[in-house]
Amino acid sequence: MSNSTPSAVAYPRATAGSWESQKRRQFVYGTIPAMVVLIIVTVLPALYLLTTSFTPLDLTRADATMWNFSQPLVNYSGLVVDKRFTESLQKQAILSFFTVGLQLLIGLAVAVMLNSRSRFVEAVRTTFLVPMVLPPIVVAIIWKVLYTPDISPFYWLFRSLGWEVPVMISTASLALWAIIIADVWEWFPFSMLMILAALQMMPEEPLEAAKIDGASNWQVFRHVVLPLLRPTIVVACLFRLIDSIKAFPLIFIITQGGPGTATEVTNYYGYLEAFNFSYLGYASAITVIMVAAVFLLSWAVMRIVGTEVEIE
Amino acid sequence: MSDANIAAGTLVAHRRGTKLRSVLGYAGLIVLIIAVMFPFLWLLQMSFRQTLDINAWPPKLFFSPTLEHYNVLRVGQFPKSFTNSSIAAVSTTALSMLLGVPCAYALSRARFSADRQISLWILATRMAPPIAFTIPFFLAYRYLEWSDTVYGLVLIYLTFNLALVIWMMRVFFDSVPRAMEEAAYIDGASVWGTFLRVTLPLSAPGLGATAVFCFLFAWNDFFYALILTKSQAMTAPVAIVNFMQYEGWEWGKIAAGGTLVMLPVVVFSLLVRNYLVRGLTAGAVKG
Repeated sequence: MSNSTPSAVAYPRATAGSWESQKRRQFVYGTIPAMVVLIIVTVLPALYLLTTSFTPLDLTRADATMWNFSQPLVNYSGLVVDKRFTESLQKQAILSFFTVGLQLLIGLAVAVMLNSRSRFVEAVRTTFLVPMVLPPIVVAIIWKVLYTPDISPFYWLFRSLGWEVPVMISTASLALWAIIIADVWEWFPFSMLMILAALQMMPEEPLEAAKIDGASNWQVFRHVVLPLLRPTIVVACLFRLIDSIKAFPLIFIITQGGPGTATEVTNYYGYLEAFNFSYLGYASAITVIMVAAVFLLSWAVMRIVGTEVEIE
Repeated sequence: MSDANIAAGTLVAHRRGTKLRSVLGYAGLIVLIIAVMFPFLWLLQMSFRQTLDINAWPPKLFFSPTLEHYNVLRVGQFPKSFTNSSIAAVSTTALSMLLGVPCAYALSRARFSADRQISLWILATRMAPPIAFTIPFFLAYRYLEWSDTVYGLVLIYLTFNLALVIWMMRVFFDSVPRAMEEAAYIDGASVWGTFLRVTLPLSAPGLGATAVFCFLFAWNDFFYALILTKSQAMTAPVAIVNFMQYEGWEWGKIAAGGTLVMLPVVVFSLLVRNYLVRGLTAGAVKG
């Protein structure tokens, strides 16, 4: 019986100790396998990519060029003078600017329109999910059909109206716009959904206070709603910007980078260098630059999301 | 009194204006819905048209539907590519969940000092352009002779799905109260018992949504499969593209193949529609 008192005292302490230490062991065992696999599938390839970018690796001459570090910066100095690369950056900038800009504008307009129509919101929101969840390859096929005059309902319409409409995807000045339109269709629902979610969580008080003070609808929107939406819009913008750097299936299916190099954005140029021309070293250098850009943008996302959490 | 009258008057005028505007608004919405759905429905109806009707001039608005394109798909490479897609998507989902869920839980409960760095790493992984992983994996698989294998695909799909699971599940675990776990532990459950019998059931909707997302991202993949498979492990999206390149422009067949590939996607996305923003932003936004 004399033992019962110390054990009764020791019991909760022992439990607390073992709960804590058991928990700690659980965290370690829970984390290690995933982290090991994640290192194998992401960090090692990233290092490998960086390493190859310092070699002139050409798969048609693999023996001479693999692990050849005699001129480590040859790819990067080549990039600076490669007109096809610098032009691809330009096209990338145009594509990113217009797709992201239009998606945000349309997304914002539709979200504001939907926000005041509660009865329809649910049904319409579900409908608008369709473009962005479809397999990208199917989206690309859909637009290839719509852009091919023989089978496109649009070109049928133009033809029966007697209009001469150029074939967008084979006209150098219009081909990039064909990609932009398809990309906007595919992804404006994304910014719309994000903005709509933010609108529906928006506090009522500042809006009503502004209305009582005699602000017009436009003034309320411009000076109250828009500032409150700013963080959401910035995050949506960054996500779309990052994704626009990766645009591939639309270009691969609809224009193959053409006509000429009219739609050859950086990602597509990297793909061609790597898997059409077998210059994997050079393609690695292009990719390293893209990864650096994406990494900076991700860091910006973290910063913004992080500050938001801190404000809360 | 007059103030009230004026107020009432402006209210009526205001209502009339609002009514007109709301009618216009609804009309605008309907136009928008058509604009969004039309391209998608066009592909769907095309898959049921006879080849002659697809190319007909003047175009036929009405046509007698046919399943001929779907029947053509039943033979040849396509069924196998469909199986490959399913195997790759299901295995990568299972693996990512198995590895990622305990890790997400640990990251949610233990406040690691490197938390921010880990988060940035995982987000960057999710965001990296596919070609960044494709080049090293392509070279490694060439050496290991793993190209054109389904397990090779499963491994590279882990690059995005494992990060996705960790990001998404972490937010779900954050919302499971710790007090319930402690209560279970005091009742005599082990730490893993608590995790399996208390925490996981409480986050079941999150687990379901996350698994569906993993499946969809793997299923929708085109780039990795395009580079890393040739014939044996070819997935359905690549098979459809091959209809375009090697067999001429058989639009009916392409439309039918596209319809079959998007069918599971549309069904599954409707199941997880409430989590969609969260999934697509890789958990950086609480959608």
